[in-house]
Amino acid sequence: MEFTVKSYRFNPEIDEKPYYKEYVINDFPGMTVLNALMKVKAEFDGTLSFRRSCRSAICGSCAMKINGITKLACKTQVSAEIEKFGIIKVDPLGNMPIIRDLIVDQEVFFDKIKEIKPYLLGKTDHINDDFKALKEGEKIKQPVYYKTEFQNLTGNNDTPNCILCECCYSECGGVVANSKYLGPAALAKLYRYSEDPRDNDKNGSRLVNGSKPAGMFDCVHCQACEEFCPKGISPVKVIVRMHEKAIKNSITFSKGAKHIIGIARSIQETGRLDEIKVAVDSVGISGILNDLPVALGAGLKGKMPPLRLKLIKDMEDIRVAFKDLNLEEKHD
Amino acid sequence: MINYAYYPGCVAQESGKELDNSTRFIAKKLGINLIDMPEASCCGGGVVDGFDHNLKLYINGRTLALAEKLGYNILTVCNTCTLTLSEVNEELITNPKSLEKTNAYLSKIGLKYSGTVKVKHLLYIIRDEIGLDKLKQAVTYTLDGVKVAPFYGCHILRPSSVVKFDDVENPSGFEELIKTLGGEPVPYIRRTKCCGFQTILVNEVTSTSLAGNVIYEAQQNKADVMVTPCPLCHLSLDTYQGVAAMNINKKLSLPVLHLPQLIGVALGGSYMEMGFSRHNISFRAVMSKIKQNKLK
Repeated sequence: MEFTVKSYRFNPEIDEKPYYKEYVINDFPGMTVLNALMKVKAEFDGTLSFRRSCRSAICGSCAMKINGITKLACKTQVSAEIEKFGIIKVDPLGNMPIIRDLIVDQEVFFDKIKEIKPYLLGKTDHINDDFKALKEGEKIKQPVYYKTEFQNLTGNNDTPNCILCECCYSECGGVVANSKYLGPAALAKLYRYSEDPRDNDKNGSRLVNGSKPAGMFDCVHCQACEEFCPKGISPVKVIVRMHEKAIKNSITFSKGAKHIIGIARSIQETGRLDEIKVAVDSVGISGILNDLPVALGAGLKGKMPPLRLKLIKDMEDIRVAFKDLNLEEKHD
Repeated sequence: MINYAYYPGCVAQESGKELDNSTRFIAKKLGINLIDMPEASCCGGGVVDGFDHNLKLYINGRTLALAEKLGYNILTVCNTCTLTLSEVNEELITNPKSLEKTNAYLSKIGLKYSGTVKVKHLLYIIRDEIGLDKLKQAVTYTLDGVKVAPFYGCHILRPSSVVKFDDVENPSGFEELIKTLGGEPVPYIRRTKCCGFQTILVNEVTSTSLAGNVIYEAQQNKADVMVTPCPLCHLSLDTYQGVAAMNINKKLSLPVLHLPQLIGVALGGSYMEMGFSRHNISFRAVMSKIKQNKLK
């Protein structure tokens, strides 16, 4: 089968602006997109630049956008892409500056990995000694998972399988919105260490640092990191587990934690999402005043939600759930 | 008539009532009987899992059990409700421990869940169960000449291991529906990206910039109107459109409709019936154009 590879090209030393170049090549059975790019480089254009190494979905080097979706080129079959899109269009990873053609500058990604301290803290490591949310001598609670439930000693939910390929980072809606956001790979790593029983984080410093602006509460829950991880890891799911752990350990200074607690409180009281109350709980009165033009605009259009919500029928059922789970006292 | 347990979600019953009204309008026209569940609670808005995972299981397990008791599958009109109920359903069906503890709670309130309910969004109920042919027959005003930008959002597509309605990389359900109504779907890259709603109260600037980018790209591709299957996306895209414009420093003015509103217009719904006056960006000019397309 003859098919077209359309590649993003940009060499800042000679090109004024990026452009696309097309190469028509023949496939062979089982051909991957990486095979195709290597064929283009070997037979048509030796200047086409891209990262690659293992060809076995282990090293994570050849991540790129293939027909708009970030994938490992070595793990992506040409035939499947042609069947769906009729072309192999390749672009560099998103959310990172482009160095040349399909090669991006990974520095910002690895800076964020370093920022979460991706190693087990020893007895002398105190990364946030001044944190006082926990009582003197009290250790951080592990309410979600217990040691006996650990799939292995290096964390769970497959987070140690991350190959740092940056597929999740490239697709992350949170990073698109805020370039300072830590992003899914760094946060999955933060989870992996915060869950490790050998880690000497006795005062919850990992979760405190992770709760700061541009941290775990800035996740937009777009699910792209889970969807497009080539190793089957779900950063968004473990980010949510860290939200739960932070809130259960009273690490609730962030707007994001207040927002989650506000929604839970609203459900406990009415069975519904009380839009006004959740907004006040999340951003406070000053935040509401900042948003006054939006609120007034919505009010004028008749979109203002009711100030007092009607309870759902059989509201007592919901109270039983909160009581059963011993959640009543958590947010009073 | 096909019966469904109707789960409008909270926003469609509060600030986004026009979504509930237009859903009921088109349901009647398309032979969908919506069975209300006044006992159903909020799904947790996609974030209650971060408060307590078991609470997410209990409150949504209860909703699933209520639908099972009625004997109907659940029809949703919100992406986030669809994903949350689907996630819980998947966990209860595949994890016996989760089902056991949820049923222990449900037994205290006189309910039980055995995992027979399916959760499906209106968009895909129309495509797969009502049928696009039937929809076409019901059209009284075609959307001929109207360029419609479909905005899928996230939770109706991802994760595809849980919500399995469409091709996550290249979905087509929305485009097929727009074509059936006579409209022209506008292709644009951000149709499956995030609207930013989940962090609108956490970081408004970054959140609304996502919505702004979506609207700007659709506008650049000459869209007359954008349509979304989710009321949370609608809040980001319509209610916050002015803030989004300021944050991305672009001029934005694109009417954004709920999915059943677009269908409702094609099925003869009036401006008032569809609740367009409740929107931030006026749909009046496009509506006038559609009203000239009456089928004989």
